[in-house]
Amino acid sequence: MQLPRTPVVVGGNRTPFAKTGGAYASASNQDMLTAALDGLAARFGLAGRQLDEVAAGAVLKHARDFNLTREAVLSSALAPTTPAVDLQQACGTGLEAVIYIANKIALGQADVGVGGGVDSASDAPIAVSEGFRRALLAANRARTLPDRLKAFASLRPSDLAPVAPQVVEPRTGLSMGQHQARTTATWGITREAQDELAAASHRNLAAAWSAGFFDDLVTPYLGLTKDNVLRPDTSVEKLAALKPVFGDTMTAGNSTALTDGAAVVLLAEQAWAQEQGLPVLARVVDAQVAAVDHTSGDDLLLAPAHAVARLLARQGMGLGDFALYELHEAFASTVLATMAAWESDAWCRERLGRDGALGSIDRDRLNVTGSSLATGHPFAATGGRIVATLAKLLHERGAGARGLVSVCAAGGQGVVAILEAV
Amino acid sequence: MAGLLERVFYSAPGKAVAGGLGLAEPPVLRRGRTAPDGPVALASLAGSELVAETLRYLGVTTVGAVSDDGSEATYPQRIGALVVDARGLRRIDELERVRAVLRPAMKALNGSGRVILVAEAEVDGVEAQAVRQALDGIMRTVGKELRRGATANLVLVAPRTAPSDLASTLLFLLEGRSAFVDGQAWTVGPTLRDAAPETSPPKGPLATGIPGARGQFGGETAAPLAGRIVVVTGAARGIGAQIATVAARDGARVACVDMPAAGEALAALANDLRGTALQLDVTAPDAGERIAAHVASRYGADARIHGIVHNAGITRDKLLVNTDADRWAQVLAVNLAAELRINPVLLDGRPGGLADGGRIVGIASTSGIAGNKGQANYAASKAGVIGLVRAEATELAGRGITVNAVAPGFIETEMTARIPFVQREVFRRANSLAQGGQPVDVAETIGYLLDPASGGVTGQVVRVCGQNLVGA
Amino acid sequence: MDRDVERLDALPRLGPLFAKALLPQPRAEARLPARTVVVTGLAQPLPRLADYDRVCGFPLRDRVPATWLHVLTFGLHLHLLSAQESTIRLPGLVHVTNRMRLHRPVDATEVLDLSVRAGGLRPHRRGALLDLVGEVRAGDDLVWDGTSTYLAPGANTPGEVAAEPRPPFEVVPPIATWRLPAGLGRDYRRVSGDPNPIHTSVLAARAFGFARPIIHGMWTHARLLAALDARLPGAFTVDVSFAKPILLPSTVGAWWQPDGDGWRAAVTTRDGANPYLTATITP
Repeated sequence: MQLPRTPVVVGGNRTPFAKTGGAYASASNQDMLTAALDGLAARFGLAGRQLDEVAAGAVLKHARDFNLTREAVLSSALAPTTPAVDLQQACGTGLEAVIYIANKIALGQADVGVGGGVDSASDAPIAVSEGFRRALLAANRARTLPDRLKAFASLRPSDLAPVAPQVVEPRTGLSMGQHQARTTATWGITREAQDELAAASHRNLAAAWSAGFFDDLVTPYLGLTKDNVLRPDTSVEKLAALKPVFGDTMTAGNSTALTDGAAVVLLAEQAWAQEQGLPVLARVVDAQVAAVDHTSGDDLLLAPAHAVARLLARQGMGLGDFALYELHEAFASTVLATMAAWESDAWCRERLGRDGALGSIDRDRLNVTGSSLATGHPFAATGGRIVATLAKLLHERGAGARGLVSVCAAGGQGVVAILEAV
Repeated sequence: MAGLLERVFYSAPGKAVAGGLGLAEPPVLRRGRTAPDGPVALASLAGSELVAETLRYLGVTTVGAVSDDGSEATYPQRIGALVVDARGLRRIDELERVRAVLRPAMKALNGSGRVILVAEAEVDGVEAQAVRQALDGIMRTVGKELRRGATANLVLVAPRTAPSDLASTLLFLLEGRSAFVDGQAWTVGPTLRDAAPETSPPKGPLATGIPGARGQFGGETAAPLAGRIVVVTGAARGIGAQIATVAARDGARVACVDMPAAGEALAALANDLRGTALQLDVTAPDAGERIAAHVASRYGADARIHGIVHNAGITRDKLLVNTDADRWAQVLAVNLAAELRINPVLLDGRPGGLADGGRIVGIASTSGIAGNKGQANYAASKAGVIGLVRAEATELAGRGITVNAVAPGFIETEMTARIPFVQREVFRRANSLAQGGQPVDVAETIGYLLDPASGGVTGQVVRVCGQNLVGA
Repeated sequence: MDRDVERLDALPRLGPLFAKALLPQPRAEARLPARTVVVTGLAQPLPRLADYDRVCGFPLRDRVPATWLHVLTFGLHLHLLSAQESTIRLPGLVHVTNRMRLHRPVDATEVLDLSVRAGGLRPHRRGALLDLVGEVRAGDDLVWDGTSTYLAPGANTPGEVAAEPRPPFEVVPPIATWRLPAGLGRDYRRVSGDPNPIHTSVLAARAFGFARPIIHGMWTHARLLAALDARLPGAFTVDVSFAKPILLPSTVGAWWQPDGDGWRAAVTTRDGANPYLTATITP
């Protein structure tokens, strides 16, 4: 499908990603998103400029942040007349925000916009218990003091304890790690394979940092100049020493760490960008969302495997048609299970309705500058990180180079997209 | 503890104590695009009209200089500046005319006043050359005798220099921008011509400069860099941030370059100035390519750099006896080799490179001129900049590109703040203005060199040192 | 004459100082300490900065708010005015005007030297005015200076009462409405360290003639700068005049308008008719 207008990635910016409770412990989502927007404005000379729209979101969100992105825009160097929207699709938020802006550009509803996301597990909202919440609401409705007091009479001491947000699937009561442990077992993903993938992620990210690859993708924030989840000196041996935390094989080393950070991507219509003298890295070719029924036993984090199949079918492409693959490393075993699914004749026949396997991926083209295991994973920020990184990598490889982005998300969802270097 | 001592020293009563010790409170210097405080007196000593015409060109009205004819003549009011056109003086007895116009002015000059001598860069004959050199000695002495922030400088004018060539220099010296330039001599010639047509104004998403550019003095526009692209390295903090700020004030679109680790301050500055930020280690092998690519991708493929200021610099001070190869190499790599590698890349005609008719400004240092204990590596790099500037100026004259350096003396920065107080106070006061300079003083001097009207100034090293006792 | 310098190893704890400051003082001619009090090498407390930003409405970024630098020096105000040789005590003082200049952006990670001195005693029709002048340096850079002018009601100092030029206030249409909750004084006490109970206790407020606790003037000042945050230049001067205290809780109006290269701004009653605080900001 040839679009009348071509949405392209101009560039991106993110904060270094920080271990939760560390460098950004005091920063709110709005603070970090503002910092990411300010760095983007400086990189592309957007201070005081009105953009058509900024789309971003956060997964862990305070009630007061109902208009998070717009408030961040107002705090940033962008013109205060820049509109903004909050989006949320769990860990798919950042990529979904990019797709949202790209679609608007393709449809002629915008010439230039920003997509991205932010998350802080340090500054996560703490809720009151459901019992306490109901009592408060009842008291608020009550008209007399005795009624008000009555509303609290039903409270039990345990209702007064605060409730921290949990990454638990509401319908299964299982954490994401527990779900993934089932998938890992189903697909027989070995500890060695997971540790090898994790080690490669750290190795690749460390190499990219020392080559200066992130000089035009990251702006320091609050004194942090590099991702600090990254362990350049880690190895398969060191990873092998860690104790499993989910199932028998998943450790803190081959699962993503809780992380704080923000990432944004500048998108524009290709001709418009060229006219404005802005760089054009890669066009956003197409995107797809899919969901699985994890409530009936599907693998929670394998929805992207479905989404990619549909996307390739629509584009008439094969899995091997890409110069680079960016598969978000929620867990090392997520990436390995996704690839195993694509390589499985039986699974592809049964679940995708294909004649046989979708194919396999050249591991040398996978996450070549590291991914979430090494950078960390501030949920909604991951999509923006990946898109900006991949667009730059594709651009370096020359016009026509294609890349595939795949991000799994809570609720059994997956968001995927194709970029192509201009 | 040093900081404490200093604060006591500069507290109000401390000042009284210091005054009692014979250390006068340093004068507050006139800065910015401000006119002298009082009329500009003009003296033409040997019939040259160049200075008079230049001041007319600038729209500066002048009064006749009072000359001491033995009757102890005095000015009826305080004057803001004395400009002396000494071109044409050839004989030693003619130097009397210089004394005669200086004597009344020494008394009448207001605070932050100016004495500007203008002489010929090239003269024939032994006596004429002796006379010209004598002017240099006079100027330097006047600089030391003047009080209350007044300065003296000597402009040497090459043959065939027109009023429009000299204008930017005289304006700079008259205005507050030259506050900390004192006791200096440099040469102005005819504006370099380049074959290339004027570059088209760059496109791009950027607003032009920052709002609120200052008013003007004389006939010169206050936004001489309007629409032009200026690259400043080491821009995140200190002197570099001032250079970028002054360039933006003068209308430039500024590409601010600094180390990735300084990225947040750099971004904030770029946003303040409505410029762009480029996180880059200038010692990277492809630094020049990346600067050009940044400019081309932000301001359009046709865009060219009008001026680049190589401000990025580091110190790794140690006595030579303790200086290892690493300390030596780091300083030379950042302060000298980076500039040497970046310039040719920007000059090879690529998109986003330096325009013909453009400006290159390096940062030298009085340490590079006079040497400084514990700074052999730094002095090497900064003296190297001077050598580079002179060689490149010759090489690039045909393309209309000027290459100059400023040599800051004691400038109050985070770097100098690390010097112990007593030593720092000695340095600080060891100049004719009895104080350290401000980063803006360096930035204004660079702004003058970046000015498109300064096309006749090339291969020069302008010291911003308040006539420091150190060095020549 | 010589000005002594008292060097503190750290910012003073304010609770005990405040209690000391409450001790009654003789009513003779007012005197202020002649010392300058200094704290050097202060690393800014980042968690408190983040809390301060939150309470006052600033985003958390590397560049700190100008009013934060005032807050850092505030402990030295109290320290000076608790000294034996000071007849003037901080409780009961009325913050009349505040002028501060941010000379350049200051990063949260910069290590700072603070100094405060008191002076400028001059008569006022209700007592005496005095200035507390603070300076913040980073290395040799003077990065911030601020003058807080207080009225010491009933204090006695010789001289002529100078005329008080109070420019007439024109009714403004508020741009923003701010709801100040009853607990705001407590929040600001936590981040500013100002323990004056007039901001948190009804009883203390009544003792000083207010029906309810009043919010710190410097909170209102900070909140106003926070509203303009993204539009303020890297260096600026802000002049604030405190017209009337704001009782807690309250709903107030805020108004601002570009004025040349700077801003004029005010915090007013809800309808914009009467000012609590007026401000001018110049680059």
